[in-house]
This record gives sequence, C-alpha cells and structure tokens, in this order.
Amino acid sequence: MNFFFSFLVLAEIFAVLALSTNLLLGVVGIFSVAQAAIMGIGAYTFAGLAIAGIPMPIALIAAIVLCGIINVIASLPSLRLAGDYFIITSFGIQLVATAVFINWSDVTGGATGLSGIPIVEIFGQKFVRAGPFLILSSIALGVVSLSFWLLMRAPYGRLLHAIRQDEIAVVAAGHRVLLAKVGVSAVSGMYAGVAGALYAAYIAFIDPASFDIHVSILAVTMVVVGGARTLAGSILGPLLLLAIPQLLALIDIPSTVVGPVRQLTYGALLIAFMLWRPQGIAGKSL
Amino acid sequence: MLYIQLLVDGLVTGCAVGLVALSFSYFYATTGIFHVAHAGIYTLSGYIALHFVKLGLPFVAALAIAIAVAAGVGAFIQVTLYARLEKRGASPLVKMIASIGVLTVLQNIVALTFTPNILQFDLPWRISLVHVFGIGLSIPQLILLIVSPLILFAMLAFSRWTPLGKRIRAVASNPELAETTQLHPERIFIYVIAIASGLVAVPAVLVGVDQAMQPYTSLLVLLTAIIAMIAGGIGSMGGAFVMSILLAVIQSVSVMLVSGRWSIALVFAVFIVFILWRPEGLFRRNFNRQI
Amino acid sequence: MLKPRIGGLIAAALISAYASTALAQETLKVGALLPLTGPAAPIGLEQQQGVQFAVDLANAQGGVNGKPIELVLDDSQGKPDQAVLAFNRMADLDQVPALITAFSSISLAIAPLATRREILVMNPAAQTDKLADASEFLINTIPLVNAESQVMTKYAFEHIGKTASLLYENAAAGIAGRDDFRNHFEALGGKVIAEEPVEFGQTNYRAALLKINASKPDFVYIAITQSHETMADQVGQIEGFPVAVGNTFSRPFFGYPSTEGWYQSAIQSNNPETRTLEAFKAKYGTKGMGFFAREYFNATNIVIEAAKALSAEGKELSGVNLRDTVLKIKTFKSPIAEITFHTSTALRPVEIQQYVKGTRKVIEVATPVAQ
Repeated sequence: MNFFFSFLVLAEIFAVLALSTNLLLGVVGIFSVAQAAIMGIGAYTFAGLAIAGIPMPIALIAAIVLCGIINVIASLPSLRLAGDYFIITSFGIQLVATAVFINWSDVTGGATGLSGIPIVEIFGQKFVRAGPFLILSSIALGVVSLSFWLLMRAPYGRLLHAIRQDEIAVVAAGHRVLLAKVGVSAVSGMYAGVAGALYAAYIAFIDPASFDIHVSILAVTMVVVGGARTLAGSILGPLLLLAIPQLLALIDIPSTVVGPVRQLTYGALLIAFMLWRPQGIAGKSL
Repeated sequence: MLYIQLLVDGLVTGCAVGLVALSFSYFYATTGIFHVAHAGIYTLSGYIALHFVKLGLPFVAALAIAIAVAAGVGAFIQVTLYARLEKRGASPLVKMIASIGVLTVLQNIVALTFTPNILQFDLPWRISLVHVFGIGLSIPQLILLIVSPLILFAMLAFSRWTPLGKRIRAVASNPELAETTQLHPERIFIYVIAIASGLVAVPAVLVGVDQAMQPYTSLLVLLTAIIAMIAGGIGSMGGAFVMSILLAVIQSVSVMLVSGRWSIALVFAVFIVFILWRPEGLFRRNFNRQI
Repeated sequence: MLKPRIGGLIAAALISAYASTALAQETLKVGALLPLTGPAAPIGLEQQQGVQFAVDLANAQGGVNGKPIELVLDDSQGKPDQAVLAFNRMADLDQVPALITAFSSISLAIAPLATRREILVMNPAAQTDKLADASEFLINTIPLVNAESQVMTKYAFEHIGKTASLLYENAAAGIAGRDDFRNHFEALGGKVIAEEPVEFGQTNYRAALLKINASKPDFVYIAITQSHETMADQVGQIEGFPVAVGNTFSRPFFGYPSTEGWYQSAIQSNNPETRTLEAFKAKYGTKGMGFFAREYFNATNIVIEAAKALSAEGKELSGVNLRDTVLKIKTFKSPIAEITFHTSTALRPVEIQQYVKGTRKVIEVATPVAQ
C-alpha cells in the first residue's frame, strides 16, 4: 500500500504544479517552461528554512510568498513578448535557475543536493510514511483546486479568458490587462511554491535535477494531456502520466532493454493519446 | 592567440548549431509547428551514418544515406502525425506534445539499436589536424566551417529562385490563401519537413564525427538553435544562422571572462535583454500565431 | 544388492529433508535501481550487466537456499523522485531485503527510506562524501572521494607540481572531486590557479581545455565520469597541454598519444578469474569487463555471500540480517578486490598509475587513512 500511497502523493504534488502551469499556459496563454524552476525555488526555500529550524508553517509561507514574487518577475517579459518568444525566455529563466541551484552550493548544496530535510511534524504527529503524508498533500491539493475553481468562476477568471482570446479587444474595453496578468502570475507562482515545499517535505532530499527543464516540460505535457484550462485535467493529467511508468514497471521486459523499452512505450502512448484525444482527457473542445 | 582559438571554436560550434537553427526555422516558419522531434532526427541521422561507416561504406556515401533516411523519417512524421493532428483541429501546443512523444520514441529506438553508450566514428582522419593561419582544426571542424555557409547560401538561393522555393514561401506567408489558390499546403509541408530533416543530418553527422554521439542529449542542441532562431527573427534563415554563430562565439569567448558554470546564464542574460529590446529579432519578419 | 538401495533411500530422504527445509526458506530477492535511460544510461547499462552476471552465475551454481535468486531491476532515470517511487515499488510489491544503487543523488534520496524500511542498500559506485553517514543501512563498497583524493593529492604535490588547475564535471562526483582535491592540495601548501567546469553529457571541451591550458599550471586535475575518449582527442589538438592527473573514473583516458605520461589514482579493482571474464565477454559481446561491471558484479556477490551465510544458519534473509552479516564477515576477498569494512564504507588500497609507453605503470600503492 505504501507504494500506492507514495505514487498518489507524487501525483498530487505534480497536480499542484500542473495547476500552476495551467493558470499561465491554459488560462492567460503565457507559455512558460520555467514552472519547475519556480517549484525548485519553493523547495529550496522550504528545505533551507526547515533545516535551519524555522517552524514549518513559516517556511511554507515564506516559500509561497517568494515564489509568487519571483514568478511575477519571471513573467514580466511576457507582457512585451508574444507566445513563442516567451517560451524561449522562460526556457532561459529555467536554465539560469538550474545554474543557480547547481552553483550556489552554500545554500543549495550544489549538484549533490540537499539532504537531511526534517520530517514534517504537526501537533506531535510525525508524517513519516506515504500514508499519513497523503493527508497533507490531499489538503494542499484541495485548497489549491478550490482556489483555482473559485478564480475561474469569478469575473476575474472571465477577464483572463478574454485576454487569451483577444487581448486587444480587452484593452479597448478599458480593462487593466497588465494588472490581471501580474495577478495571475502571482497566484501561479504561489501554487508552484506549494508544490515545491510539499516535494521537499515528502522526498526529504532535493537536487537541481529534480527541477530541471525536463520537469518543466513534463508539467506542460501533464496539462495538455489532461486538458488545458480545466481543473479536472490538471489533476487527471499528472495521475495518468505518472501511472504509465508504474504500470509499465509491472510488465516483464527483458532486463537488457528494460529502460529504453519503457521510455519508448511512454513516447508512443503520448503520440497515440494526442491523436486520439487532442483536447485532453477533460477538455471539452479545442 | 588564445582568443582567436576560442573564437574559431565558437565559430565552428556556431556553424553546426546554425544549420540546426536554419533547418528548424524553415519548417517552423512554414507550418507553425514546434517540431521538437527535429532533435530526434538529429540523433537518428548521426547513428545511421555511424552504422554505414561501420559496414565499410565510404564516409560520403554514409552521409548521403543519413540525409536520405532523415528526410524520409521527417516526411513520415508529417504525413502520419502532423497532417492528422491538423485534420483533427489540434492546437500547436498539442502538436508540440505529440512531437515530444516522437522525440522520446526516436531517442529510445537509437538507444535500443546502438546501446546508450557514447560512440565514436571509426574514421582515422577525424582527429587529424589542419593548420589554418596557425590555428589547429580537426578535419570535421574544417568541413563544417566550409560547408555550413555554402548550405545557407544554397538554401537562400533555393528559396528565392526555384519554383518550389517560391511556393513554399507563398504557403509560409499565408496558408489560408495558399489553400484557396491550390498551392496544396499539405503537400508543401511534406517537402519542407523533408528538406529540413535532410539538412539537420549534416551537422548531426559532422559533429558526431568530430566529437562523439549519445542518444539523449540532442534536445539541448535544438533548444540552443531555437534561441538563435528567435533572436535572429523567425522566418529568417540568415538571421538564425548569424545569431547561432554570435551566441556560440559569445559562449566560447566568455569562458575567459567568467567561469564556465555561469556561461549559459550569461548567454541567456544577453538573449533576454536583446529580445526585450528587439522583440521581433535581429531581422524583422512578420510572424504571428496563437498557442 | 540391498546396500546401494538403502544408501539411495537414505540419500533420497536426506535430499527431501534438505529440500523441505529449503522450501521453508525464502527466495533471495535483490533489487537494482540504476539509471537505465537518460544521459547516464551508458554507465547504468554497464552496472546492470555486472549485477545480472553475478546473479546468473550464482543461480547456475544453485542460487541461495536452493532457489534461484530473483533480480528486480528498475530504472531510476537518474532522477530522485523516480528513484523514490521505484524504491517503494521494490519495497512493497517485491519486498526486496537488499538493493544495489547507483549515483550520488539517487543514493542520498533513498537513504532515509532505507533506514525507515530496513532495507540494505549497497552502493558500489557513487563517491560523494555525504554518503559516509547517509543511512545506517547504506554500505559503500567503494571508498568515497575524500579517501581516494587524499592519496592522489599527496603524490601529486610531492612529485608532480605545486600549482594545479582543475577541470571537473559540474555534477555530484565532479564537484566532490574538485572540492576534496582543493582542500587536500591547499592544506599541503599547493595552489589552485584555475578551475573550469564541463557539463555532464557535453562532448565539446575545447573552450574549457584552452582556458585551462592558458593558466599554465604544473599539472591539471581532471574529474569527469564519462566521454574521456572525446576529451583525449581534443587535448591532442592543443600543443603543450600540461600533464594531467585523474581519479578512478579516468581509466578510459589510457591509450591515447595525447595522454601519454598522465597519472590517475585507481581504486584497486582487477579482472575476475579468466574463466569468469571470458564468460562475461561472450555474454555481452564486450571487449573486456569495465570498472562498473566489475564493481557491481563484486558488490552483488557480497550480498549473495551474506545471504548464503544467513541461510546456512537458517536465519531470515531480512535487510537487518543482511547488513549485520556483511559487516560481521567484514573482509571480502575476490580476484576483483579485497574489501574491508571497518565502517560501512569500504577501505581499499588506492594505486597511483602512470601511462607510460602503452602500459599503466603502478607507481605507488597506498591505503587511505580512515577519516
């Protein structure tokens, strides 16, 4: 059961990250491949503070606030750059962040990573194994999902959709596009901060590879597979994409080729899925 | 002297990246598809050449086969995947994710067929040195340095003066109009991806001969090329090529100024400042699409 | 005619009695969590061959408890979160009492889990110093960077030169190599005059090599774990590149005109007996048995030996028992290496080799001082 729970915990953490990506990518159309970097900042902040003995709730809040601020700064170029240009800018932000994670070793532990992150303890209850931790990650995902849902229902959410569809018309109608975009970046960053803190608390070890470009691309893939713009999609996408390797692990593949065969199957499934359901699992239309 | 050596090293790297950038740019500007699988074709073609050299074919023949296979695989991806996704009304984002799937498949086919080991060509001449104005260059480096600009000029000429090149430009500038004027964009796309894929085989094989090959690292080469393409101005092959060289030279020479561990960050800082100052790139082109 | 019959009956009874106790005993399951895809896959593949070969060999000789050993193989992709999932999969679905790991980050990520789940983790290749006390269930069959670097640095300072430039891989092993070298070298009074990183998976080292060359050190210390062949090619392109010193991963540098006269430290690790070596080469179609294959083969054999000792005593093959038995047996001798566990990290002799006229000349052998 522990294995199943640990899978669910990771799926929930990635669902939070997917929601962060979804807010930018699906909702306002800011194509960012740097969300893993923001998550990493959250993870390192939380881990560093927790190791220094700061109470965990404070460490969590610090991670959330910092990620909100940094994500706003990171998204600023998108105010001036259209879609494709921003992809590469965000890719640059991702690479710079990874370089910082690796090279600022006094704080991040460098390429060897940061170990010895203390076990989460609330009211004397220790969250050591995956089972109890699942409660924590579920609460976090619940709160994030609820806020996402409320945000989409609010007039603000409708404004965001309108910006994606026709930014010029929204500006012409007298709305403050800049403010709306900054606001959504802040929320997206805060989600990434939550994901990072949870990740650091659960795995209890973080290193730069945990938050590199491949993780950012994985987050985008999760959003698209689940269905961009939808809440359910950002939860189902991570669940499905993380489940595929687990299910493939149960199939007996000759040991000499096991790694590449699993990856190949994963790639093939991704292609097949996009052909079969381009709008994603939960997406209604394109 | 040291700076000249670093400059030349950057120049050679830039030429290789430049070919990747211009070939990616050619397909991307025409179709708007973020064709990440281009990196997979890059990997595949290098290994194909390696295979035929191992079988005893002359290097030039192996290179020709690699180019042909790459073009064929590219066309196959367009017909079986991108065209179908287009018909189903998939967004560019969805095509990109499918393309990531293709990249994963290609990389792992290579890893299964040729092992994931770092492999080198068994060609004795590949490490022989040629001295040009006192700078020692390996033969593959020298070939890259000569061939790359030639390919660029050939592509520019092809695009400007041949009927097919003109048709491709017409489709790129306005697909909807091209549809109604019976230019058959979907057929044009096949030509474009075949040309782009064949082109990318050249730097893949030459860099493989010069250095070594491995299955899982080509994505970073492609992303570097895409940065250059965007900085150079999407749709401008010359811009993509020149920017590739510029960025590679900056990265190479910057080693003397900052530690190599910050050189990637430095290149990006330059890029971000540049792109904010000139969002349309070095060479202005009209290009717009939704994600 | 009766006697042989009775003898046969007794033998049969004995065999069946033995078989029934053996049946009551459990099968030994060994996990292997290796980077089978991604940039580290070349190393992962060689490690996998070593483990697989050891298990197959042991099974051909009857396995443990009269049952074949079961190998549970999984891909960590070189990523900590995937490793944690795979670890839990092995712990829950396969209930392995012992597993073999690779890579510093992976080993550090699963170390706390190993303690919690009481699963023995054998590390035959990762050398980051943090592994020394990452978990009481982690056994390192290779000395960590600190110990190896201590021997090499001392030799280099006394015999090669007082100024050095460093070229290192910007990843766990390379950075640990850089730091330990610098610490030891500066403590002796040496001076590091330049340092330059290269990326994991990079194959164009020219800019870095040019910079290092320009700093004109007495020697260069190189800590990379792959793609040595390409670096050797490119060193050949630079006239007058200083002599270089490497570590145990530097073996592939040997045999190039450009690396003639270079030094490396090497954890003593020899080929297995000829018959085993030939069988390995035939099975995997390789030219020899690489360092990782040997070390993983040997580490797997240590687990198997401990399991055999436990089964002889009729004890359960649990993670705790396996760990205690390995530490109790303490010294494991094989043609590959003699490994002694004073602590959970092996102490092994380190050689200083020099590449002289197509041979690896052993110049000095020393055992590092326990830290």
